Amino acid sequence: MTTVTLPVRHAHAKGWWGMVVFVATEATLFGTLVGTYVYLRFQNAHWPPEQLPLPPVLTPTMLTVALVATSVPMHVASRSVSEGRRVRAWWALVVALAVQVVYLVWQVHDYVHAIDVYPPSGSAWASVYVTILGADHAHVLVGVLLTTWFVLRIRTRLTRYRAVGVQATAFYWHAVNTITIAVLAVQLSPHL
Amino acid sequence: MSRTRLELLQWFGLFGGALAWTAEHVAGYGISDAACSVAGRQWGLDAATLQVVVGVAAGSVVIAAWAAALIAYRATNVPYDAPPPTGRIHFFAQAALLGNVLFLVIVVLDAAGSVYHLPCRQS
Amino acid sequence: MAVVAPSPERTRIENLERLWAARPGLLGWLTTVDHKKIGLLYFWTTLVFFAAGGVEALLMRTQLATANERLVGPETFDQLMTMHGVTMIFFFIIPITTGAFGNYLVPLMIGARDMAFPRLNALSYWLFLGAGMFMYSSFLIHQAPNAGWFDYVPLALRQYNGGLNVDFYALGLIFTTVAATIGALNLIVTIFKLRAPGMSWNRMPLFCFAMLAASLSLVFALPALTADCIFLELQRKLGFHFFDQAHGGDPLLWQHLFWIFGHPEVYIIVLPAFGIATSIIPTFARHKMVAFPLVAMAELLVAFIGFGVWAHHMFATGLTSTTLVFFAAASMMVVIPSTIQIYAWLMTVNIGTPEFRAPLMFIGGFILFFVIGGLSGIMFAAIPFDQATTDTYFVVAHFHFIIFGAAVFPVLGGIYYWFPKVTGRMYDERLAQLSFWLTFAGTTLTFFPMHIVGLLGMTRRIYTYDGGLGWDAYNLIETIGGYVLATGLLLIAFNIVRSYRRNVPAGRDPFRGGTLEWTTTSPPPHYNFAVIPTVTSPYPNWDEPDREEDLRKLARGDLVLDQGHETPESTVNDAWPSAVAEMPPESPWPILAAATVTVAFFLLLTQHYATAGAFFVLTVLAAAGWNAHEPEEATG
Repeated sequence: MTTVTLPVRHAHAKGWWGMVVFVATEATLFGTLVGTYVYLRFQNAHWPPEQLPLPPVLTPTMLTVALVATSVPMHVASRSVSEGRRVRAWWALVVALAVQVVYLVWQVHDYVHAIDVYPPSGSAWASVYVTILGADHAHVLVGVLLTTWFVLRIRTRLTRYRAVGVQATAFYWHAVNTITIAVLAVQLSPHL
Repeated sequence: MSRTRLELLQWFGLFGGALAWTAEHVAGYGISDAACSVAGRQWGLDAATLQVVVGVAAGSVVIAAWAAALIAYRATNVPYDAPPPTGRIHFFAQAALLGNVLFLVIVVLDAAGSVYHLPCRQS
Repeated sequence: MAVVAPSPERTRIENLERLWAARPGLLGWLTTVDHKKIGLLYFWTTLVFFAAGGVEALLMRTQLATANERLVGPETFDQLMTMHGVTMIFFFIIPITTGAFGNYLVPLMIGARDMAFPRLNALSYWLFLGAGMFMYSSFLIHQAPNAGWFDYVPLALRQYNGGLNVDFYALGLIFTTVAATIGALNLIVTIFKLRAPGMSWNRMPLFCFAMLAASLSLVFALPALTADCIFLELQRKLGFHFFDQAHGGDPLLWQHLFWIFGHPEVYIIVLPAFGIATSIIPTFARHKMVAFPLVAMAELLVAFIGFGVWAHHMFATGLTSTTLVFFAAASMMVVIPSTIQIYAWLMTVNIGTPEFRAPLMFIGGFILFFVIGGLSGIMFAAIPFDQATTDTYFVVAHFHFIIFGAAVFPVLGGIYYWFPKVTGRMYDERLAQLSFWLTFAGTTLTFFPMHIVGLLGMTRRIYTYDGGLGWDAYNLIETIGGYVLATGLLLIAFNIVRSYRRNVPAGRDPFRGGTLEWTTTSPPPHYNFAVIPTVTSPYPNWDEPDREEDLRKLARGDLVLDQGHETPESTVNDAWPSAVAEMPPESPWPILAAATVTVAFFLLLTQHYATAGAFFVLTVLAAAGWNAHEPEEATG
């Protein structure tokens, strides 16, 4: 491996940029989902349909706040790996993972219940609602898998490759957390 | 002029107008759809006025971006393939001078068309 | 006799040869991560799909040659028509421009040793191959997609299309868009991060600007298509409601999402072709591109403004006039950047001392067809005209002039232009020029009469027509044109094969091109450059002092990077060196992951959802194995 004797500037690694571009596609995908919700909202006098109960407020808000808070330990992990502080990064990932797993399990449980209350085969509103929530939970699942993977990978050793992986995972989580806020807004919008 | 100021002018010149047009396009389509749709008719929107407001706001940002690009362009009088950062700043400033003209024309056409057409008339 | 110790340069080159040596044989191809080999894999595969799409076209043209033909029935015709569009767009033109030309040339043009993510590059190819096989397997059960390449609802819904046809379409497109997204991601990060130190944005070749614009468009446009296809499958298979008004949906939702993807898609098709043209013109005009910054910006502007015009495909759907204003205005202005490019190209040829060899002739044909296709296109921006001619052959004429004339002609020119670099052998110039004239004549004969017959009222997507409507003669000419065109294309293929066999050495730089690929041997070594090139302009091969500096750097060992499988990373805007990236060696993970995904899609098609889920789990495990094999560990 060449020791770098070039005059270097500090910059994000290409792996980080790869995650940025990937997040751009996923954010666009959520943009189309939310856009679909808004578009169909204009087509319907009653949105959601009158016979359906309004979506819950408290639990989704609480859970979203908790999930967004994990951006803090993810950021700590990201900074720690770039400073070579493996143990600190590992604990930050573990803390984040714990909250992320609780969030996911709770949300999936509520989601299965929601499909009964808002059957997609009954209305376009329910179809879009179930699809948006499902897409968000799927992205959280992917995030949980990523965090778990790097908890395992940096348990014993930190290489540049793994450090970039942690930084990319942190960026992914910041994006998913932002998207989850938008999804929450859609979820709560019938209350406006 | 400081390096930071030059960079800000160049990047605002390059992206400011583009983002302004993007917002105006989405807002304009949204206002027209909202005003004429099943749900939107109940809200009684004055679409034409709103479109002009959106158009003036967006157009102002585009003009500001064009001005920023012009300042950056004149402050970096080098060939386009000159060494960075000066060459790169000049290159992007020149590109932005072209782009923002197009965005301004689109915004003006949009506002004019929104006022001209009868509201909610099917094409 | 004293043994002469090898010079430092020789030692470094031997190190590079050893470090970058490729695994031989079939296994080498299946596990390759070399952007040049992957580019070649894409090239041959896309040509097979081009031939399939061509056969579909000739079958349709033969059916339509005379009135009331019954070569094929209506159901088969619908499948041929749909698959012709799907194949040409998703399995030919996008992969050949981004996957073949983009993969092979971008790293060379920016002075890098490979793409940013070599294994991901391989994955994008194997996924593309899997998706193509998935889509084409539909013909085996005579249930190929049949609702047109844009697959409008309600025709695509289960109650009107109960077989697997539309499911092949929706799942097949989701599959191939994953491959295309990965490919685009790789091109973007490569262009952002792997440019040779010194190649700031204002010194990057126009071909790379075109690839960047196309890749950014792919990243932001494909999700709309993915969402649309997911909605369609959810409605068809699980009874969701997105597109039916009775339950609060809207059939126009399909069209909006489709064209939010579909219009940027046509710029994605044509932008790499612009990139090829802007590479060929300076070389054969022997003059730098006039108004270089404006041409670079025009390429990005066309892509960007192209995101705002989608509803011009829906001018006949009854949207309100005040809504259409936004799309008509943007559609008129999107023409300007393309026009700027055309003027720049023509002025460059005019000012320079042009040498009309085959590649430049194909570009000449391209410019002519692009102008004609552009003119018919801008006519559609006038809503009344659009409403009169929508769904007629006038539209078919327009987009074939653009796609065939403006996308395929540069590809054909590019094949001749870079054939010497890729193979080290020279093509037969006279046969190449003959193949140009034959292809040009065939294109004109096939597609020009479509303008007329469209204005005479012939609608598109019909499998036959009655005689006596005044359409017969035009259709016959078009069919004859189709066969002439096929002959021209076969002649190009014949020339390529024959030239390869003749093996006339081409040398490093037969055309005196300006970009970095012409500085290497033909074909380039596995490691592309013995020393990462010094760059001070977008035409490095015309900068003699920099090329001499490279030789001095090789002697000093400066930026040779022969201690590992390495290439430099640089900063995004000004290309200051920032790191040395270790590249992975050959790997089985990409093809393994692609295989599990392919099986999973077949299982989704046949509604074995649990087993499909299991195969997606296997894909995740393959990704884990992949990530566990770190590039730094592979090089000792």
